Amino acid sequence: MALSAFSFPTYVSKATNSGPHKSSPVTSHFFGAALFSHFSHKLDNHQIQLKKRPNGVCASLSERGEYHSQRPPTPLLDTINYPIHMKNLSIRELKQLADELRADVIFNVSKTGGHLGSSLGVIELTVALHYVFNAPKDRILWDVGHQTYPHKILTGRRDKMHTMRQTDGLSGFTKRSESEYDCFGTGHSSTSISAGLGMAVGRDLKGRKNNVVAVIGDGAMTAGQAYEAMNNAGYLDSDMIVILNDNKQVSLPTATLDGPIPPVGALSSALSRLQSNRPLRELREVAKGVTKQIGGPMHELAAKVDEYARGMISGSGSTLFEELGLYYIGPVDGHNVDDLVAILDEVKNTKTTGPVLIHVVTEKGRGYPYAEKAADKYHGVAKFDPATGKQFKSSARTQSYTTYFAEALIAEAEVDKDVVAIHAAMGGGTGLNLFLRRFPTRCFDVGIAEQHAVTFAAGLACEGLKPFCAIYSSFMQRAYDQVVHDVDLQKLPVRFAMDRAGLVGADGPTHCGSFDVTFMACLPNMVVMAPSDEAELFHMVATAAAIDDRPSCFRYPRGNGIGVELPPGNKGIPLEVGKGRILIEGERVALLGYGTAVQSCLAASALLESHGLRLTVADARFCKPLDHALIRSLAKSHEVLITVEEGSIGGFGSHVVQFLALDGLLDGTVKWRPLVLPDRYIDHGSPADQLAQAGLTPSHIAATVFNILGQTREALEIMSFKS
Amino acid sequence: MRCSSYGLIIPGSESRFLTTTTTPTTNKKPDRFPRIYPTSVSFGSLKVKAKLNDAAGGTATATAVVDESKELSFYDLLGIPESVSLVEIKQAYKQMARKYHPDVSPPDRVEEYTQRFIRVQEAYETLSDPGLRALYDRDLSMGLHLAFSARRRQQNDDFQVRSEWRNRWQSQLSELKRRSMNKDAGGNISWAARMRRKRDGLSQEL
Repeated sequence: MALSAFSFPTYVSKATNSGPHKSSPVTSHFFGAALFSHFSHKLDNHQIQLKKRPNGVCASLSERGEYHSQRPPTPLLDTINYPIHMKNLSIRELKQLADELRADVIFNVSKTGGHLGSSLGVIELTVALHYVFNAPKDRILWDVGHQTYPHKILTGRRDKMHTMRQTDGLSGFTKRSESEYDCFGTGHSSTSISAGLGMAVGRDLKGRKNNVVAVIGDGAMTAGQAYEAMNNAGYLDSDMIVILNDNKQVSLPTATLDGPIPPVGALSSALSRLQSNRPLRELREVAKGVTKQIGGPMHELAAKVDEYARGMISGSGSTLFEELGLYYIGPVDGHNVDDLVAILDEVKNTKTTGPVLIHVVTEKGRGYPYAEKAADKYHGVAKFDPATGKQFKSSARTQSYTTYFAEALIAEAEVDKDVVAIHAAMGGGTGLNLFLRRFPTRCFDVGIAEQHAVTFAAGLACEGLKPFCAIYSSFMQRAYDQVVHDVDLQKLPVRFAMDRAGLVGADGPTHCGSFDVTFMACLPNMVVMAPSDEAELFHMVATAAAIDDRPSCFRYPRGNGIGVELPPGNKGIPLEVGKGRILIEGERVALLGYGTAVQSCLAASALLESHGLRLTVADARFCKPLDHALIRSLAKSHEVLITVEEGSIGGFGSHVVQFLALDGLLDGTVKWRPLVLPDRYIDHGSPADQLAQAGLTPSHIAATVFNILGQTREALEIMSFKS
Repeated sequence: MRCSSYGLIIPGSESRFLTTTTTPTTNKKPDRFPRIYPTSVSFGSLKVKAKLNDAAGGTATATAVVDESKELSFYDLLGIPESVSLVEIKQAYKQMARKYHPDVSPPDRVEEYTQRFIRVQEAYETLSDPGLRALYDRDLSMGLHLAFSARRRQQNDDFQVRSEWRNRWQSQLSELKRRSMNKDAGGNISWAARMRRKRDGLSQEL
């Protein structure tokens, strides 16, 4: 042991600044053998992790390539609880703070999972914003909100970061009820400029004097709402700052399965041209000289000359924003704290600016090499090991519904060359990257533009193609008028595949697909169906492909399949439209489920078997058109009919009871009860917790049965029994 | 560009290079010389080049050796074939270093040996880093034998781009300031201008 102590010096000198590992070989003598082995073990680990840096010692944590599985040392960040504590720091200290913040974000996300890449890209921007502006008086809005992890750390929530995206923990997006520093709730994109303009105008009306800053990404900039907001901002001319965070990542991921692809849309190439534009400096100097000469009393003329010169030499791109009425500044290096602080300070101190757009160029995943190199830039990750970047993905027996959908669609498209797929910047999330790989010319990514996607699909359907629009259930809310007016009213055969239906877990109420049954089933021409397992999903994709005279839609949840046998060749067989099926024959009580709620019904009936009750369980398959025969037979031969769905009021259950009432079936002896999502938003958490909060677990269903039958004691028993 | 490499000097420190006859391509020790680009890069290089030629008048042989070694690729400098592992590169470097180090070189050929040593060290730095080595191999295959390492060149490009950006937004900021003077002049009838005038009018009354 004593010998090994002397081999330390060369290593120790390289690993300076590493806090507890600092030890001189002399002092280590006195500590005894146990500590030697402790130190040597720790330093050996460091040796593995230290990258070779030929240019000497690098003081910053992430540059050294050391990623700690223990909490990284963050001396400066430990002194910052709120942005006000940053006000006395120097620029050098701000840079150190940024590095520590980066290490902290990596450490926190590695323990909880979440959105990593986007947060890493805006570390310096967050630090600069909170340094220059005085939140919460100054309003700082973050579009989408998934990049706000550093913002949350700096605004008093660092101690809760380990609860990120968990039940009763921090939300993964900004949330007004969580903190006064979160000005506006986000989750869907492209809303920050609109909200920011609202806050700016509200401030003007109230006579206040704070600043309003809205941070929006280049992906979110592809949505129409951003232009609607900029157009209005230019017209109203209210003082506000829009920060365009440009990292060339427009879709999720901005890559195929085989590698990166250029971002979709013409805007991205315009922004790139802005970055590479080499200004004709001499011409600029000339223009300045001319205006100086004209200057003096002739303000307006000088301004006109300047504007003309500016338009002439600054090229394309900035004129887009200028024409909308926003003053363009940039491009700016988004990872340089000096530059950011200087610019923000200048703009803040300028008395009247009108709307200003600062074009900041960042890199998603910056500072964590594994994220920088990954195709998806580690946008959303599960828990991972910081030192190796490997995610701890639990291996499930079955794949996700998303993957099954993609495979089903590929199988349909093999047979029918008119099948095309459309998505809105969600190639990974909808599984259509798989479709893209197989059929590169038949998959369309329109950017974050759901409204356009739906009408685009309608146009395709006019030409005889078979478009499948894969849009998340909650994002479909954006495109509702297009669904009604452009698709349903004209009875165009567009197929809607709504992923993430029902409760979605960690993403919370912003991404929860509770309303799609309600708003789709009330449309006169729409066929509405939902699979109860993955095999049914394959069949329903085939059914949708076969329905060619009217629009149709189907919904499936987040999560994995239950493990039933898949149809051969992944090719489903079209179902008979408007026909459900009975899974278990029983008596007295019938459970009529819609979608994956059928699985909960089956579990509930298994629970009740042990109590001597044999229920009937039926899978409705279609909400529109309903299987009238099935419902009539269930109502006539049972005492109780319970409809179960993972959707809001006004959906499947409402359609069933409407039919029951009109058919005279409610005038008899049957009792009908609905089980739907409650009339409130269910916060983020684990799927099991959410389901329990919603009251849709098998235990809840069984308890409802008992309650109706009058066996309240058994109902309580089953609810308190922890299965 | 070979020319611009000579331009990487801080203008004030030219005198430094006159006392020694080693060439001013001092980017071998990058952490000692900050990479500041003077705005008039071309002037600096011309001046120094002229002075170098004067000073080097008497040491023609030195410059000849220098020129020669400039043409050699990193692999030739280390005396190794192109497909070698890191271990062999390290060994070759150590050998070369021991041979060409100023302290052990024969006294009459100090300058050229030092020159060589500096180049050998640069070669080792580039080739021992797998990323840099890959870039260098690619350049080599395209026929470019640069005394620069590829990464530094790209860094310099990045730096140039960034400083251009800086100039651009600085002028944009000053323009913004100028515009804000006239923003709420009487002619501006936008909603916010009216609100601002009202607000300022009120505060003035107070």
